[in-house]
Amino acid sequence: MNNTFNLHRFNLLLKRQWLEFGKIFLITLVVAVGVFVAFYGFTLFPLEGPISARRLNFREPLFIGFGFLFISVIASSYFAHLGQKSKAVIDLMIPASTFEKFLTGVFFTSILSILSFILLFSVTDWAFITYIQAQFKTVSSDHTEPIAYFFTKNKVSAFAPLYIVPFTVTSIFLLGSIYFNRFHYIKTAISVMIFSGIWSYIVVKATEKLLAGKMPINNTGNNGKNSMEWLIFAILSALTLVVWVITYVRLKEKEV
Amino acid sequence: MIKIDNLNFSYSKHRVLFKNISMQLSNGHIYGLLGKNGAGKSTLLKNLAGLVYAQSGKIDVLGFDPADRQPAMLQQLCFIPEEFHLPAIKIDSYVKANAPFYPNFNHQYFADLLKEFDIPVAQKLIDMSYGQKKKVIISFGLATNAKLVIMDEPTNGLDIPSKAQFRKIMASALTEDRCIIISTHQVRDLDNLIDTVIMLDENKIALKASVEEITNKLCFKRLKEIDETVIYAEPSLAGYHAVLANYHQEDSKLDMELLFNAVLAEKNKLKPIFN
Repeated sequence: MNNTFNLHRFNLLLKRQWLEFGKIFLITLVVAVGVFVAFYGFTLFPLEGPISARRLNFREPLFIGFGFLFISVIASSYFAHLGQKSKAVIDLMIPASTFEKFLTGVFFTSILSILSFILLFSVTDWAFITYIQAQFKTVSSDHTEPIAYFFTKNKVSAFAPLYIVPFTVTSIFLLGSIYFNRFHYIKTAISVMIFSGIWSYIVVKATEKLLAGKMPINNTGNNGKNSMEWLIFAILSALTLVVWVITYVRLKEKEV
Repeated sequence: MIKIDNLNFSYSKHRVLFKNISMQLSNGHIYGLLGKNGAGKSTLLKNLAGLVYAQSGKIDVLGFDPADRQPAMLQQLCFIPEEFHLPAIKIDSYVKANAPFYPNFNHQYFADLLKEFDIPVAQKLIDMSYGQKKKVIISFGLATNAKLVIMDEPTNGLDIPSKAQFRKIMASALTEDRCIIISTHQVRDLDNLIDTVIMLDENKIALKASVEEITNKLCFKRLKEIDETVIYAEPSLAGYHAVLANYHQEDSKLDMELLFNAVLAEKNKLKPIFN
């Protein structure tokens, strides 16, 4: 018997976890749809023309801000029950490996939550935009100003690290959910703020010292964007992997 | 089945629980783990299940290190904790989600146990009383057909008829290849059930002996007066309940509560008898 990973066991674990975590997940999805509908509804209705693209400017902050909140809350709640002895005992004694239990956590928090958020946002956005376009085509041609679609207007590929950011966020909050026994979300958020503050201070001070009295001699206009972009991508990827490894070790060493 | 070598465990520097504990437990037995509050009964069970990690020493459970929590070991281990949480689902959903992890799970046996415990199967687990939940989790644990069954205070929350049912079920659940360990502070609940007594006191195993060995070496009697042959006695209405060395090979019934108090109060007198 493979005591590290078995596809059948992993499948069973996904089904088992869905029974408990699925309810929280579905409730969060319903809340997300409610928030989307509320934002689109209050901003766009009543439909009075002309509709300009500016009226849809709320989409970027909604996608980024609420997206961050959504995926971080889900990740922060996944292992939270292990902080309670009565819940932790049963889960830790389930005959599946720590690696399978960890992978299940990554699947629900980093894959399913991100995909479902993007899907829900896209469907809501598509529904409202299609409705608006249909309305103004029939009412008056003066009101049909072009409305750029969200994902064509905002190209994620323009800054590659954006692809990895959701995984970094969920990995950190997943770690917080197993590291802390209570108040997982707030404690993780405070820890991230303190860590980011210290890190930013060190980077700024180090840059000041390194570049003091120097000036750029080869200004091509790009300012090393491409190399910096991939460097940030690599750093975030490495950070995500390290945080996942720490989460796995914490799960392995979890005591009740 | 279980081998413990020089186990040292503490929650902190000031709270040492076990000092160099060693013992072996074999299949075909029901062990009763006794001890005062805080003696470390639950912690010892958690060490065996791999739910806590010892500072030093070695534990071997079914050929595995329990700290690794390997699926092959967990499939053969049923741990009934004192405090537990069951999800807000019905019993059949719970079984559907959890039973496939145990290759030897017996659905018919589980249904029989639920019937014997008189559990309302249509009710959601979260709406059941603590005692009913406990009966469900005991039934599930036994139906896994795990080789090692560990129960921490299983009779807590059970009403009087259920305790009798529990004793009956546990007695019938013992097979030659199964080892059952039951920890309790309600020693009377284990009357006529356990065949070996393990008592924890002052960071050590104060006593590990079979019921047969105990009744061969000790005699539990009612006396009107006590003399120097009495190891330990407790006053009662008709005189004294006493524990004596069984020099004349008299037959007597083990009084677990009396033995427990005797071991705690007179361990120096009892030690040479069992060594």
